[in-house]
Amino acid sequence: MADDLDPQDFENTAKAVMEACAATDAVSERTALLAEAGLLAVTAPESVNGLDLPLEFAVPICRASGAGLLGYPIIETILLSKALAAADTGIAGRIASGEVVATIAWRGVAEDGVVGAAPMAMDADLVLLFRADGSAVLAPVGNAVKPEPVEAFDVDAPDALVRLFGPADGIVVDAATVQELKQEAIVLRAAYVQGSAAQCLSIAADYAQERMQFGKPLSANQVLRHRLSRDALAVETMKNGLVRALATTGAEAAMARDAVWLEAAKSGPAVAESAIQVFGGMGFTWEVPLHRHLRQMRAQAAYGAAADGLDSLAERVLTTSDNGWYGEIPDGL
Amino acid sequence: MTLTATGPDAARTPGDSYAAHARRWLQENLTDNLRTDRAFDTPATLRERIRFEAALHAGGLAGITWPKEYGGHGLTLREHLEANREIGLAPAPNAVNSIGKELVGPIVMAVGDERQKSGFLPAILKMEDIWCQGFSEPGAGSDLAGLRTRAERTADGWKINGQKIWTSGASKSQRCLLLARIGKPEDRHKGLVLFAVRMDSPGIDVREIRSIDGDRSFCEVFFDDVIVDEEDMLGAPDEGWNTATRVLSIERASNRMYRAWRFQSEIDHLVAACRSDRRAFAILRKYDAELAAARIAVEMLKGHVETLVDHMLAGKSIGPRGSFPKLFWSEAHQRFARIAFEIVSRFPPDAGQALRDVKARMEDIYLSSRAETIYAGTTEIQLDIIAKRILNLRNAA
Repeated sequence: MADDLDPQDFENTAKAVMEACAATDAVSERTALLAEAGLLAVTAPESVNGLDLPLEFAVPICRASGAGLLGYPIIETILLSKALAAADTGIAGRIASGEVVATIAWRGVAEDGVVGAAPMAMDADLVLLFRADGSAVLAPVGNAVKPEPVEAFDVDAPDALVRLFGPADGIVVDAATVQELKQEAIVLRAAYVQGSAAQCLSIAADYAQERMQFGKPLSANQVLRHRLSRDALAVETMKNGLVRALATTGAEAAMARDAVWLEAAKSGPAVAESAIQVFGGMGFTWEVPLHRHLRQMRAQAAYGAAADGLDSLAERVLTTSDNGWYGEIPDGL
Repeated sequence: MTLTATGPDAARTPGDSYAAHARRWLQENLTDNLRTDRAFDTPATLRERIRFEAALHAGGLAGITWPKEYGGHGLTLREHLEANREIGLAPAPNAVNSIGKELVGPIVMAVGDERQKSGFLPAILKMEDIWCQGFSEPGAGSDLAGLRTRAERTADGWKINGQKIWTSGASKSQRCLLLARIGKPEDRHKGLVLFAVRMDSPGIDVREIRSIDGDRSFCEVFFDDVIVDEEDMLGAPDEGWNTATRVLSIERASNRMYRAWRFQSEIDHLVAACRSDRRAFAILRKYDAELAAARIAVEMLKGHVETLVDHMLAGKSIGPRGSFPKLFWSEAHQRFARIAFEIVSRFPPDAGQALRDVKARMEDIYLSSRAETIYAGTTEIQLDIIAKRILNLRNAA
């Protein structure tokens, strides 16, 4: 099936759906729009009415979601509709069809009694809770599992805490599936951030050409042209890094995946910050949407534990090398 | 030095990947004196490096995409990429004849006549002809519209007068790819002609310029009534240069394809050497975030390179997008070079051989990397290209 399809087509569809979603504040309406376009179950198997496509088809959807300030747990929904298919076809199908809204609490484990970084948990019917043994449980929101609002940084898809009152019962997802879900999340988050950053660049480049100062557009100033060129480099770097992360298999795959995520977590917000600077005072207003992009990218960086990821990648660099050319150097540690 | 001169067809085990073939060939042929991680061995002579580079071609690791009739291996950019990954991961020397292989060859294939193709191309791959690039002048660097070197048609052939500068490798080259002007300087980008000039022609004076790394590769080249045969003009006036600029945009994107993997190899070497001594490793640990950033940059650079290769294999145009990998690599590599220099400068005075080797290599990389944001279009030129040709930013009301 995938041979006949082009991921670019999904990006075009997704962009149109994002525009429709932006016109409504109701989560239920957004859910319906996304589900109707088949965007929630792009990688889920056919057994749950998914499209059963490779991850590269979810990338343009997440990219468009980031660009469009979607305000929906799209990454979580795409991941869950696939990951739950083996454990419970029924619930996976309901997530895929938009019948229920599901999210993931990215920080903490259920055993602690409180978990966090659960995007739009206040609107969700189900929350995936990670467990200390590496597995997870998809628990229904209710008396035992209660979301609690926090001062969310992302204003479009605010996250929430989830408190547990008693044991978290629900559909168990095994550790191997959770591991795969987390690996795919890294790629989808990078795509989301790349889309958001690309939109910031586009907004800033347009503004720089419209805004006249001293009788010429801002874009006539080399210092601003070069700033925007560097932002374009950052966006292109993320984009090409994603292509590589999707194409790389085997021993190099983990590094390719982690690298593009960590690059996106660093460069994406920097592009938004740069765009705010291009706008001058207007950039610091609530009205200009750049802060919303900045907020959602920073929130994604937190969900994906980018700072921790940088630490562990550094450890990998210092402790593991398979370059045989330097194998003769004795290890003195 | 014994070199295994087996072509890719003969040497490859059935089912072997091109990368595996390249790796094995390098393991068999990259001798200690050629390795860039053995600072205190007697370094290879120019003659040995030339022999090694000729053997690289014979072994199927150079001229990979060139047509077989001109001495190439007739394979695709895919194999070229695979081989360059392995060349990059190895501590192999930079090419002596990269101008010949990465600039002249593609231009000759695009604009040369049959006699020029069959004459110039095999000689480049066999390392019989090393080429230099005679484009830049004291008044014309990135902006070649300011070019002043003149070519006049005479009864004896074309007569060349002028001066070139920053001509890498001119003192060891047999040929120069020369850009000269047949009209007036006011014609700017018009009236430019490409020549394949023999460097032993009477009237050529080469003066070496010592660069900041102590090397003497840079040269000034003076042309005083140098006569060039008509048959050594590449393409017609204007046509040759215009075609060459199109070729160059592709080449800029694909040349030195091994860079990302060489960058990775330098990090690998630094880490391996520091792990040989607890004191050095303690120093290295203080830079863990910067090293992680450098390693991430390596992966991002691979993404740039591989995406461009995919585009080229699909027959898509590259155009100004070649600026992205150049800009990204040169700046990321300089950042790494700076921290690597700082790390090795803190090594204890009684450091062992592994640390002394890596110290010498990183010091050399630190100095040579200063040129990386200058040559092949400065950082500022790359940023201008992106602003103008990718973002299409207007620069006037």
